[in-house]
Amino acid sequence: MKKPSHLLGLGFMLPALIVVVLFFLLPVFMTAGIAFTNMSTDTGITGGAYELTPNTIHNLRTQGVDNNLLAQLETDVYRIDEPGLAALATDMGDKLAKELGDTHGGVTFQSRRELERAIKKLKNKPRSTRKLKKAAAFFKRSILNQRFETESEFVSATRNLGLDLAPEHQEVLSKASYTGWTWTTENFSLMTKLPSTLRIAGNTVIYVFFTLTFNVSFGLFLAITTFYLPGKAAATFRTIWFLPRILPPVIYVLMWKWLTWDTGFISTFFGQFGVPAKNWMLDTNFHAWVVIILINGFVGASMGMILFSSAIRAIPAPMLYASEVDGATRWQQVRYIILPQLRWPILFITSYQTLSLLTSFEYIFLATDGGPGKATEVWALSAFHQALANYGGNLQYGYGAALALVLVIIGIIASVGYLRVFNFKELVARPRIEQ
Amino acid sequence: MKSRNFSSLPIIILLALVSLPLVTMYVFLFVDTISDAPAGSLIPTSFTLEHWRFLWEEPKVGETSIWPVTLNTFIFAATTSSIVMTVSLMAGYALSRLNMPFRRFMLAGLITLHAFPTITLIIAIFLILQLLGLYNTLLGVIIVKTALELPFGIWIMKGFYDTVPWEIEMAGVQDGASRFTVWWKLVLPQVQPGLVALGVFSFLSAWSEFILPQVLSPSGSGQVLSTYLNSLILDDTRPDFNMFKSVGLFYAMPVIFIYLTFQKKLMNIYGGGSKG
Amino acid sequence: MRILLDSFTKTFGDVTVIKDMNLDIKSGEMLALLGPSGCGKSTTLFAICGIHGMDGGRLLFGDKDVTSLPSQKRNVGVVFQNYALYPHMNVWENIAFPLKIQKRSKAVIEKEVQAMAELVQIEELLDRKPVQLSGGQQQRVALARALVRKPDILLLDEPLANLDAKLRLEMRSEIRRIQQQTGITAVLVTHDQVEAMSMCDRIAIMNGGKIVQLSAPEEMYRNPSSDFVAGFLGNPPIAFLEGVIKDSHCHLHGGETRVALNGHAQKVSDGQKIKLGIRPEFFRPEFDLKVKGKISFIEAHGRENLYDVVLDNGDILRSIQNHDAQYQLGQEVTWGICQDNILAFDGEGERL
Ligand SMILES: Nc1ncnc2c1ncn2[C@@H]1O[C@H](COP(=O)(O)OP(=O)(O)OP(=O)(O)O)[C@@H](O)[C@H]1O
Ligand SMILES: [Mg+2]
Repeated sequence: MKKPSHLLGLGFMLPALIVVVLFFLLPVFMTAGIAFTNMSTDTGITGGAYELTPNTIHNLRTQGVDNNLLAQLETDVYRIDEPGLAALATDMGDKLAKELGDTHGGVTFQSRRELERAIKKLKNKPRSTRKLKKAAAFFKRSILNQRFETESEFVSATRNLGLDLAPEHQEVLSKASYTGWTWTTENFSLMTKLPSTLRIAGNTVIYVFFTLTFNVSFGLFLAITTFYLPGKAAATFRTIWFLPRILPPVIYVLMWKWLTWDTGFISTFFGQFGVPAKNWMLDTNFHAWVVIILINGFVGASMGMILFSSAIRAIPAPMLYASEVDGATRWQQVRYIILPQLRWPILFITSYQTLSLLTSFEYIFLATDGGPGKATEVWALSAFHQALANYGGNLQYGYGAALALVLVIIGIIASVGYLRVFNFKELVARPRIEQ
Repeated sequence: MKSRNFSSLPIIILLALVSLPLVTMYVFLFVDTISDAPAGSLIPTSFTLEHWRFLWEEPKVGETSIWPVTLNTFIFAATTSSIVMTVSLMAGYALSRLNMPFRRFMLAGLITLHAFPTITLIIAIFLILQLLGLYNTLLGVIIVKTALELPFGIWIMKGFYDTVPWEIEMAGVQDGASRFTVWWKLVLPQVQPGLVALGVFSFLSAWSEFILPQVLSPSGSGQVLSTYLNSLILDDTRPDFNMFKSVGLFYAMPVIFIYLTFQKKLMNIYGGGSKG
Repeated sequence: MRILLDSFTKTFGDVTVIKDMNLDIKSGEMLALLGPSGCGKSTTLFAICGIHGMDGGRLLFGDKDVTSLPSQKRNVGVVFQNYALYPHMNVWENIAFPLKIQKRSKAVIEKEVQAMAELVQIEELLDRKPVQLSGGQQQRVALARALVRKPDILLLDEPLANLDAKLRLEMRSEIRRIQQQTGITAVLVTHDQVEAMSMCDRIAIMNGGKIVQLSAPEEMYRNPSSDFVAGFLGNPPIAFLEGVIKDSHCHLHGGETRVALNGHAQKVSDGQKIKLGIRPEFFRPEFDLKVKGKISFIEAHGRENLYDVVLDNGDILRSIQNHDAQYQLGQEVTWGICQDNILAFDGEGERL
């Protein structure tokens, strides 16, 4: 049953589908993928190379790889091979090179001293010690801090060292010295192990709980109080409380910085009474939290204010008049007539804001940036720091993505729940023109 | 409410008290940009336009003039809002009114998209833009902002379409018009106020956006006012709040102006709000 | 143009709203679809104009099968209950819209719109927006818009429901006039029986997705095929008495009164329950079959009064009489039923 509106509908959806799939879903899936890698600034985002660094060796040692083997990898060896001989020939003459090649070609010396001793025994040995050292240097062979583009180059380089590695050792070594990113589930095991995880989870709970409580109760307060005011006054107060939402976050937080910083309002004001100036935002953890919750709360309360206000306005006026005639005080009117009507808006705001607070970090980033210390670092901010704004300079894309993925999963579960509560069926009523 | 049984004075006093911190901030946001106060005092003593000099002075070496940055911000906001409007206008209608395969699925998907935090998108986009060499350009910021605003925009437009009486469309169909003509000639004029509100909303939202430019285009030719102001604040060792506030007020003025103009229309949308 | 619905079936999801409906509407006729709310009147209408698809059956306009033709190609004019005028266009533009869609020339549009405006008598309103019109004026505009492109069929979905009583009366005759003047085949959906009876050539009474009777108004009033039809038509409504058959007579429930059944009603065997329908105009002091009761309610209608009379067994009869008869509330009366005009129904409600 092909209907013309099927085609029209899909055509109308097409631009949206393209944008959403390419620039929304695809990145989200990529992020989910990145969560299962060790991608970071170090590994780069494209492929990688093979490079054995002292750091890698240190890591291998802590992993319990055979110490002898590592020591061998670490120390330089001297190997008489064609490239070395050729270099020697151009620098110190063919004779020496030829003799050395004839006597010791293909031999590996474990230290510079051994090689020097061998050269000294030659007929064409260099005259000075300096020259001797220089000659030896041509044969110095090491894979430390050298880049190899492919694994096979790297493997043959280790062979060149004269090391005879068992295949499984070779594999461990290759893997450890690979500089690009690899697939791994380590991010998640790390997440369960690190104490900081618990810390940011706790901070997130504090942040969401208190901000939400403030938002809902203060939103209610504003909606109810302005409801009782004459038009002009109500509009003025609503505008005052609506501005934080509409002002760009950078400016809004700037005003708070002015209020709380040591050259700002509070310090200057209390300065008049001899209180020494200080940064009231960042001096203690407690102050930082208070400021964070107020900053977010002043923004969030306006959403409640708007929704609750329109819900209150929907209450039939005769109901309110009747209660007044019945002698209700204002408090009783609020308690028994208005509040019961707001059950659904309150539930809606609570569930909606729980989710958006959980994933928001903009205001915290601008205000305290998680400080002092990590006192106000919440989950989303931590993901952001790890992946995109790490002061160490080494951005941990993989770990950051893993943190973000946790938020996505919570979000999806929650929104499926909300769909149930807020009656999805009603939203998808079938079109009434059946063409 | 016009009941005379309760007096409003105590409420006004109470509200004025709790509003005091905000009002103080607003007042000083303005006053500090055009005045100087002696150190250690809050009361301004002299009038000055000194703090606004960034508007006309040649920038010092290593500093950027505010004008190209402002232009960037405008391009960013205008482009984002036009794309969001156009795409939402079409998709919202399809979801609200047209029979099509996967309609339920798309609606459910749309709601679930709200649950995806910004951070999940930008990690991947950040890496892609770096690969493509589009890091520090406006393009990436515009793309991501549009993608993020779209689910909300489509949802809002669907809501506006839902309020248009079905009978108008039925009458149009009966009068011989195709569904496309019905949409273009009969339904669009009904949702025009909603469209304007969505346009203004997404313009403001992009104009104010901070995190995306901060990550994807923090400096250079793609800088916008939010990152410009933020880097000013971070750079200075002794904060010159008067200057910050002047830049801030310059940045906020269009927002306040637009808000006052479109107040009524905007309330509808902020009711369904998109940020915490 | 003749409209033929042939075993039309409509389902919404798993609910079958209309099953195997047959309806034959003659060319030039005005037919009413009458029935209680939710019986499927609008659904039938939407199927005729093509807003809804049909899940079974055929629809013919004249000899042409239009079952799968889209609305745009059916040439049907519709007036919706809330008129559905385009709010952003003025009256002239509203009426001109169907012609503009057909890409007719400016001059033709100008001429046709003018002619329509004259027909529905709104010439002086052409510049107004719909919100500046009264309900009756909006109604006329909607009618003009539906008729302007000379449709083969005119459908009206409760066109008078939103008007006040006086305007309703006026528009009733107005619509009928226009329909007769244009000779168009029309279907009127309504749940107001007076509207259906006064405006239409024939009435199709619907109940639960079925057409229960299709006749001319007079015939239907006098000769209802079931107690549902009898109860639905007539204002003030008919009263029902329950009884049991014994010796070809009906013994009223709980009383001594016997009613002789005329003609075909005598087929019913003894001991069966039946229902007798008595219209208010056939229960008056002057008729012969006397019953006793007490006046429990008096409703003044101006020229006439309506009395509810409770019989000894608790059943209620209604009587409508000239207002100058002086009866009091609670008064015991003995009035008569006109035997010839009793409508008898069997246990299932079928007419006997
Ligand atoms: N889109 C729909 N989806 C599901 N059921 C529907 C739909 N439209 C109508 N129905 C059902 O079909 C039945 C008939 O509806 P219809 O609108 O035809 O009634 P109606 O006779 O016009 O009533 P009214 O006088 O109230 O307008 C009703 O029970 C209604 O609930
Ligand atoms: Mg109906």
